[in-house]
Amino acid sequence: MTHTTFPGAVRTVAALAALGAGTILPAQAANESRPLQAGTEYMVVVNHPNNLNVLDLKDNSVFKTCALPGAFGPGMVQIAPDRKTAYILNNRFGTIYGVRLDDCQVHFQAELSPAPEVRAKSIFSFALSVDGKEAYAVYNPTTLHKDHYEVGEPRLVVYDTAAGVDARPIRSFPAPRQVTMLQGAADGSLYMVGANIFKVDVHTGKRELALPIRDWQRPSYAPVDVLSVWPVQTPTRDFTLLYTTARFTDDKQDPATAEYLYGYLNVNLESGQTEARDFGPLTEIYFTGARSPKDPNIMFGLLHRLAKYDVRQQKLIGAAELEHTYYAVIPSTSGDRMYLTGTFNDVAIYDADTLAKLGNIELPGGDMSLGTAQVFIR
Amino acid sequence: MKHLKAINNKAQKLEQAVAEGRVEEVVAMSAIAGCASTTDPGWEIDVFGGVSSLCQPMEADLYGCSDPCWWPAQVPDMMNTYPDWNKDAANSKEDWRNLGTVFPADKL
Repeated sequence: MTHTTFPGAVRTVAALAALGAGTILPAQAANESRPLQAGTEYMVVVNHPNNLNVLDLKDNSVFKTCALPGAFGPGMVQIAPDRKTAYILNNRFGTIYGVRLDDCQVHFQAELSPAPEVRAKSIFSFALSVDGKEAYAVYNPTTLHKDHYEVGEPRLVVYDTAAGVDARPIRSFPAPRQVTMLQGAADGSLYMVGANIFKVDVHTGKRELALPIRDWQRPSYAPVDVLSVWPVQTPTRDFTLLYTTARFTDDKQDPATAEYLYGYLNVNLESGQTEARDFGPLTEIYFTGARSPKDPNIMFGLLHRLAKYDVRQQKLIGAAELEHTYYAVIPSTSGDRMYLTGTFNDVAIYDADTLAKLGNIELPGGDMSLGTAQVFIR
Repeated sequence: MKHLKAINNKAQKLEQAVAEGRVEEVVAMSAIAGCASTTDPGWEIDVFGGVSSLCQPMEADLYGCSDPCWWPAQVPDMMNTYPDWNKDAANSKEDWRNLGTVFPADKL
């Protein structure tokens, strides 16, 4: 029991004691103080009951497991630019934590609720600035009166990531409804996914349209449908969303004769370039897609199968049958492997070129649920 | 509204708001989020009218729906209302027998 000498481990022991009978304990929690190795590629992913797992992608093993404070949900991780800190939206969508990966210590904590009577939830809308000095969130407040609830206006809040475990917003701005994702860009701006994709000035709160979703008008196309709750930080800095639509044959817009299509919306967070294009027929459902870091003409889609498309030809060029559904497809830094996360408690690994299965990493504990994991090289 | 008659306080307040022009325009969501805000096919039927595009097995989709309050009519809402629904079932594949039915609590 060497871990009893570390404060983090003391908290772990308390967390384990607090868990009810029948839950699955984070079996590797004794490794909380194990430091990450420079140059090694890792994945960070959170799972039930409330563990943060660091996976070593060199030998596809669980490197360490941190017991997190608060409650699970959604466990959405963003990796800081220093690659030493994971920030997590958790505690039933109400708290942002900063966890030092070397020792599992929580060094940053921000409660989104601005007052005791206000319930504030961020629907996956949390990101970091490109220099890691600020964290951004959009929260949706509801004031819980004694006899009724009052729905408030969403706010974009900005935190100083050096503010410690009682962080309060240093700036705050009105935000639109229906925001589901944020990502910080190299020029210091913030991309906000909601009814459209907006580019936001984080000093003034001013928004401009980056890519239309609801307001995308294409003659002979149906309005696009978007599912966007997995903000994956990719090696190419591509921030990619899938959409589905229908292309009609004529002005009658008959759904029976329409061609149903998948496409992607892409913001490159390094260059600011935006792109929206169809990439293949809609024949099955994907929750997430990823562009190959090796070849931007290759697009992957994932839910019940891991599928691969040639974008220029708009053609399905391969698909792997999976042992169960996974939500999020995440490329390795090199683009040689695709990691499948979310749903149960195993991460599946596939060869990006051949789509052959390379293995699984089983997590201590339970389901990843939505499973927004991140891959990075320390 | 000519075929509908307001019979409770909430409905009467809605009628009053409509009369005063205080009702915001309702716009269908293109980018969907949880808590009954979406009516896209989900647990019972898939987008193609069949079941083969539903999550496989269905347990794989349980906490991805209950954590974010995605289908609160079909799966308990763990974000707000039933946060401890899976306290004895962290691993849905192994522990699903420990998941129970939930019932709304009395408000008074």
